[in-house]
Parts: sequence; structure tokens; C-alpha cells
Amino acid sequence: MGRTWESLDDFEAFLDQGGTVEVDDDMPNAYRLAVFAFIEMHANSELMGGLTERDWIPRSPGLRHKMSVLAKTQDEIGHGHLLYMVAADMAVKTRQRMLEDLFAGRSKFHNVFHYRAKTWGDQVAISFLVDAAALTSQQAVFKKCSYGPYRRILKRIIAEEGFHMRMGEERVLLIAEGTETQRQMFQQSINDWWWPALQLFGPDSKPDDVLLRWHIKSERNEVLRAQWVQKFVPMLLSYGFSIPDPGLTYEAETDNWIAGPIDWEPLKLTMDMEGPDSARRIAEAAANWDDTRWVRDAMDRAPERSKRAAT
Amino acid sequence: MSRIASAVTAIRIRDAVAAVDDPEYPGISIVDLGLLESIDIGPDGDITIGLIPTFSGCPALAMIADEVHAAVSAVNELDANRVEVRWLNTPAWTVDRISKTGRDTMAQEFTLAVRNKLEPVACPRCGDETTEDSLFGSSRCRAIHLCPSCAEVIEVMRSGA
Repeated sequence: MGRTWESLDDFEAFLDQGGTVEVDDDMPNAYRLAVFAFIEMHANSELMGGLTERDWIPRSPGLRHKMSVLAKTQDEIGHGHLLYMVAADMAVKTRQRMLEDLFAGRSKFHNVFHYRAKTWGDQVAISFLVDAAALTSQQAVFKKCSYGPYRRILKRIIAEEGFHMRMGEERVLLIAEGTETQRQMFQQSINDWWWPALQLFGPDSKPDDVLLRWHIKSERNEVLRAQWVQKFVPMLLSYGFSIPDPGLTYEAETDNWIAGPIDWEPLKLTMDMEGPDSARRIAEAAANWDDTRWVRDAMDRAPERSKRAAT
Repeated sequence: MSRIASAVTAIRIRDAVAAVDDPEYPGISIVDLGLLESIDIGPDGDITIGLIPTFSGCPALAMIADEVHAAVSAVNELDANRVEVRWLNTPAWTVDRISKTGRDTMAQEFTLAVRNKLEPVACPRCGDETTEDSLFGSSRCRAIHLCPSCAEVIEVMRSGA
């Protein structure tokens, strides 16, 4: 058995001093639930993201892209797997229960996976804008996250997501230097994905946000969002694309790009499972789970064979 | 090129290749992972670097080759057009090729273990024996294990499959 704390005040003082909580510590229940919900949503998002990615394996333009999409699919599913294990260790829900809840539309996943990727341009926009948004927020969690098992897993996930970012940049350069039709397709994708990607950071953090108070996250949503805007506006403009934000302004004295007013209604809809593609996405994930049951059964029944194959 | 000059160049080239990290693991050199198989310097100064992929379908191959090419070309007085990076089909990569430094860095920085054949895998955190949760992790060269003692979730690098 790990450490115990006399009171919530003691526990918070421990966190404020940079303490790391481990799975066998007697953490306050509210902290346990907050960390669990955060990791569960991350795990769900990796799984839903992996399924989105998978759709593009047969449709990738060329072998090099196909290999990168294949690998990215495996990465996302692998990340989901690791995160479900870390979440299950917290003894709030079993892995099975988390998956059941996801497939029944009872638990959350990131807003961006409530939209449909229709073209290769969308896929490039996702691997560029959305992956960067996810990476930015993961880095802010990883820096100081008070829950040790999650922080250690994040370190590996971030290293791999950094690799995805480089592949995304390669894809963007290719499309930016492409034909006029390809450039138009990508402009449409920027128009469709700019706002969902920006909203991935969520609304401004509330002053009493427990995720910040308990050092689960180390940076406010609006600060991360501003960093992302600052990075991508000049980059896309330099490639000759436009940003679908009429309120976007440039502040010369600070050399900063500042987003215009944000309509948060679309984000709310996705969190209520009423986004443009929520129902189809969830049904597809559930059907995939059923379709692949035989693989899991085979793996369970043949542990010796799988060990031999591994050597 | 004289034999001595050629030997000195080979050492410099090796150092340049060793400075290239695995794209998924910043801080772990591809030489420590055992990817470098050969450095050939032809009589006319043509240089061929032979690399072994951990897995033939690895998506990082093009990126690694580009980085090795750039690093080797940056070595004194080498002409980039005369440097070739080649992925070799043999010998097959196994975890035996990972150096001690590579293993230590993986364990310390990324809680990543290495499985030798069917030997048990020790937890990089507490040293106890781990159990396999899945043969496949986030890449084809990795499995996922769980440590029953400290409950750590571990990725394990392995050969084959």
C-alpha cells in the first residue's frame, strides 16, 4: 500500500510541492475520478482516431503514404491500449466497461472525431492541424502531471506523436506544392477543420478548474489555444492558404495572431454526441469491435503460439 | 584515398550516423538500436552506408535514410552525390543488436524494456517479472506488458513477427 494523506489540504500541499501520485497511493476519491475521466477520454480519442486513420489505408495516394497511415493507425490503437490499461488500474471501471460505454455513446472523446474526413485533403489537415493541437495539449499535461503512471506513458506517446507531426508537415508541403485542384481541396479542408481543431483545446479554463488545481494539466486552455493559433496562422499564410476566421487580427507590437470570437455551440453538440458525424462514428466503432472479436478470441486461445511467433 | 585516411573517414562517418536518433525516440541513436550494418568506402571515394530495418514495413525508413544521408554528407569534404544510404535485406534485425547504452536509455527515459527470445521481461521500474498483455503494441516491434508488482504499463521491444 502506498502513501496516505490526513486531509485534502495535506494532499493538495503535496501536489503543490510537485509531488507525484502513484497508483497504490490512497488518493482522494475526487482526484481519482478526475484523473480517470481525463485518461479515459484520452484513451477513447486514441481509439476513435485510429479508426478514422484506418479508413485511409486503402485510399492513400501512394505506397509511402500508405505505410505512414498504416503505422499511424497502429500507433493510435497502441496508445489507446496503453491508456486503457493505465485507466483500468485506477479501479474505477474495467477496460471492458470503458469500451462498452464508448460504443454505447456514454463516454466522451475529442470533438474532432465527431466530424467526417471526406477527402485526402481532410486527412492531411487532420495530421497537421488536429495532431498539433492534441500534441500541444499533451505536452502541457506531460510537463508536470501529478499522476505518475499517466505522465510516464505520455512521454512515449508524445515522442511518437512528434513523429506523426513530421509526417504531417511532409504531407502539407507536398499538397501545397501540388496542382491548383489539390490546393483548392486543401483550402476546403482548412475551412472545414480549422474551427474543430481550435476547439479541441476547449473553452477558457475556469478559475476553479480542478485539473489545474491538482496539477493534472499545467497550462490553461486559452494559453495553449493561443500558442497553436500563433504557430499555424503564419505557416498556412506562408503556403498561400487563407484562414476561415473573419475576426482574426494581427497585433504588430507583440507580433501575435489573435483568433476572432469563437462559437462554442459546435463543441457542446459533440460533447452531447450530437456532432455532424457522432452517430455514424460510434456505430462504426461498435461494429468494428464486433467484427474483430474472432481475432481477440484467437489470441486468447493460443497464448503459446503467440509466444512462439514472437521469438 | 589512403588506408589511414579511409579509416579516419570511416570513424567520422560512424559518428555522424550515431548522431541520428530514432524518429520516435529522441535521445536514442540508431547505432545503439543496431541499425548500422556497414560503411563501405570505395577506391574512388564513393560511400555506401548499409542499414538494417527493425521491421521491413517500418514507416520511418525514408525519414531515417534522409537523415543519415544528410549527416554523412556533412562530414568533411564529402560529396553528397557520392553518398548512398541503402536498406539491406540481410541480416535480419533482432534485439541482440541493441547496445547496452540503448537498453539503459530506453529503460530510464521511456520505461521501455527489451525481450530476449522467450526470457521473462523485467520491469524497468521495479525489476520484477512482467506479464504480456498483448503481443502487439503501438508498433510492430513492440509488445505491451504489465508489471503485477508495481502496476506499471510497459512497452517491450522484441524481434520477429
